[in-house]
Order: sequence, then structure tokens, then C-alpha cells
Amino acid sequence: MDSLHAIGFYVSAALAAIGGLGLAFVRHHERRGLALGLLGLGVAGAYASLSAGFAALIALLCYAGCALLIARRDYRTVEQAVGTVWRQLGAVAAAVLFAALAYAAYRGDFVHATFYGGVFGSNSLARLMFAHDAPATEAVAGLVLVALVGAAFAWRRERPRDHTEGRP
Amino acid sequence: MSVSLVSVMFVAAGLIALGAFIAAWKRQLTAALTGLPVMFAGAGIAFAGVARFSAAASGPPLIGQEMAVLLAIVALAAVALGVGLAGRESSR
Repeated sequence: MDSLHAIGFYVSAALAAIGGLGLAFVRHHERRGLALGLLGLGVAGAYASLSAGFAALIALLCYAGCALLIARRDYRTVEQAVGTVWRQLGAVAAAVLFAALAYAAYRGDFVHATFYGGVFGSNSLARLMFAHDAPATEAVAGLVLVALVGAAFAWRRERPRDHTEGRP
Repeated sequence: MSVSLVSVMFVAAGLIALGAFIAAWKRQLTAALTGLPVMFAGAGIAFAGVARFSAAASGPPLIGQEMAVLLAIVALAAVALGVGLAGRESSR
């Protein structure tokens, strides 16, 4: 990997980290949507630096969709009934998780191999997803279908109430 | 300056831990839900890094990229379902 790809990877990782920190500490949902878009841009850049151009394109589209869902105008908030102590314990557990994963990455003895794939790799990925691992692709497609149908059903249930509230 | 699998794993670990922190720290359900795409992004970067630096020569080398694609799609589906359910819950 040459220096240009390395700089691209580290800049993209910094973008993703800034987006993630914005998600954690920004208050308004429009800004959280913007932070999620920034995270998607950083993740797509990291994928592109790792010679995964097709995955970068898909990640950019999916995270832009997530950002639009978070930043939309009729955003609703639901308060969780979790106490402050449990939230602080969760934050400490996240720090411990980072320490454990970083230690595993530092101490890990990884196999190094030469990469022969292309920069974009859509042909090889399509062959892999639709021929070699077709059941996994179909399972994810089914999961996405169920999730989107559930989301549409939930949105449609609340809409007639809004329309009928003003009628006599 | 170069990138190795260890540095990719450090970035992935940071994103996974940051997503877990968001999911645990945020008081609102839909705000805590945004931790899921962050965790999936970290896992996807780890998979893409393994596909780039340590793919076995005998098996399919792009299976990490395939997992990264599937994780991004699942993140979108999870956010859509969570935002829809939160909207339904708050309208009661």
C-alpha cells in the first residue's frame, strides 16, 4: 500500500471518528444526522483505501439513508427507563471493550498475504454473493424486507390519526 | 507511512467501542440506536482489512468485503426499523 492510500485511510478514519464522536455528544437530531453522514463518508473512504470500492459505494448509500432517517422532520423521541448508574457502567464497559480489542489487535499474530483483487471488485463480489454465498445474501435480503415492511407498517399506523384529528 | 492490519484493527476497535458507548450512554432510544451503525462500521472495516491484508489464498479472498457490504445494508435496515418503531411508540 503506497503513501497516498495510507494518508487516505488515516484521514477517512479520522472523519469516521469525528462523526462517531458527534453522534455521541451532539444534541439536535439534524446534527446527529449530519454526524452520521460524516461517519458514512469516513467509512466509505476507509473501504476505498482498502481496495473495496464496491463496498465503499454501498456503505456511502446506506449511511446516507441512515442519516436521512435520523435527520427527518417528523423525528420522534422515546426516553429510556435506564438509570444513570447503568449508563455509566455501560460507558465503562465500552472503554474496557476498547482496551480488550486494542490489546488483541496489538498482540495478534496475523497472517500476511498478497492481495490480488482489483480496486473496485464488483464482478468478483457479485460472483461471491450470488453464486458462492447465495443463502447468506437471501437471508440478508429477507431481513431487510421484513425490517422495511415493519417500518412502513409502523409509520402507516400513526398517519391516519394525524389526518383524522382535525376533522369534526 | 503505511497501513497494516494492526492499524486497521485499531480503527475498527475504536469504532466498535464508540458505538457501544453511544448505545449505552444516550438517554433517548432513537439516539442510542445510532450506535448500531457505528458498531457495524467498525466490524465492516475489520472484515475489509482482513480481506485486504490476510485473505487466504485457498478460499475466496473477497469474503470480508462481502461481509462489509451486508453489514452496511443491515445497519440501514436496523435504523429504519428502530426509527419506525420509536415513532409508533411515541404516538401512543
